[in-house]
Amino acid sequence: MHSRLRILALLMVVAFCKPTGAIAQAKCTAASPECVAVGEWDLSVALGAGVRTNPVQGRSDIPLIVIPQVSYYGRRFFLDSLEPGFTLYEGNANTLNLVAAPGYDRVFFSRNDLQNVFVNGPLGGANFGADTDTEVPIEYRGHRRRTTYLVGPEWLFSYDRFTGQLSALREVTGRHDGYEIRGAVSAALIQTENSLVANAGFTWKSAQTVRYYYGVQELYRPDAALNPFVKVAYSRPLSERWTLNAFVHYEHLSNEITDSPIVSNHSVVTAFVGFNFKVL
Amino acid sequence: MFGVLLATSAHGAVDNERQHPIELRLRPRVCTLSEDDAACNTTVRAQWHSTKNESLCLVIVDQPNIRRCWEQHSEGVYSVEVAFSQDLVVQLRDTELDRVLASQAIAVIRKALQFRRKRRQPWSIFY
Repeated sequence: MHSRLRILALLMVVAFCKPTGAIAQAKCTAASPECVAVGEWDLSVALGAGVRTNPVQGRSDIPLIVIPQVSYYGRRFFLDSLEPGFTLYEGNANTLNLVAAPGYDRVFFSRNDLQNVFVNGPLGGANFGADTDTEVPIEYRGHRRRTTYLVGPEWLFSYDRFTGQLSALREVTGRHDGYEIRGAVSAALIQTENSLVANAGFTWKSAQTVRYYYGVQELYRPDAALNPFVKVAYSRPLSERWTLNAFVHYEHLSNEITDSPIVSNHSVVTAFVGFNFKVL
Repeated sequence: MFGVLLATSAHGAVDNERQHPIELRLRPRVCTLSEDDAACNTTVRAQWHSTKNESLCLVIVDQPNIRRCWEQHSEGVYSVEVAFSQDLVVQLRDTELDRVLASQAIAVIRKALQFRRKRRQPWSIFY
């Protein structure tokens, strides 16, 4: 697994050092799904129906009803929902950011996770039971999975109609000191008034990360895990403020995760259809 | 702070007028257009003052329908709704409209929006 990491890191460095090797996408000159105005806040709320399946045994699926989104892109600093960041370099084809991102796995364990609050509103919508691990079978109960944040570099690149991103993150909130590498490639299949974008990628989680969420003390001690995923997203603007949005996201869980006695599914499926209202 | 422009000989004013300049002040001083705005639609308030009585007219360049004249006044105020997409030039002229006694402009500033590429976060539920 370490050799894979080295290859990924090498790819990141080589590609970033050769920005002319990539075919730059058109420069952003107007607001679009791909481009945002510098220095302006963007606040929107998606209302609709959707679900995210929960692979953790005894946990209910997570309904998606309200999805608030807030973003701000300055010249360097940006906030993209729950992910703040700082742009170190921005060219037509390559961008290098320093980002902070939450650990996603906690959403399966806690109703009060920030990401679930964002989805369901402060009153919650998922029938999770308590906000601790009480629904995990009692013989497997362990530590509470706390909110974690990971920090690291993120490389964004574009090549023709493809865009990609690769980030190498380390947990910095003192919970497990694990690592994650997130990579994805996106292709705009339709980019007219309708937008259809296909994504494929992976998340690699270090052993520390996997053990923090899916390990069971003295019973199951998993190693690192690699989860591939695909996602298709569609959007169509209906008016100046309203946009129809839909997406389906399928993530296949590594055996290191599904072999855990607290996990009962091999995948996580997230699907949502709704209307996005632009507040700001 | 309102902009102040003094009538000068550059506008054909005579020496006498240079010694007794007419003060013209406009509000607003500038109009900022966002990307979606085609023109400024605003109330322009023009206020002038002189050290002696004057007979003059206030006109706006390229807006021939707007004119306000005073006979033997030392000051005056005029407010008018104006739509304009380029710098708006307001002038005080003599009653024959031959000579410019004072001139001031409201600058139109087009907000230069810059754009940058937005991140995709395919891992998250936020599109």
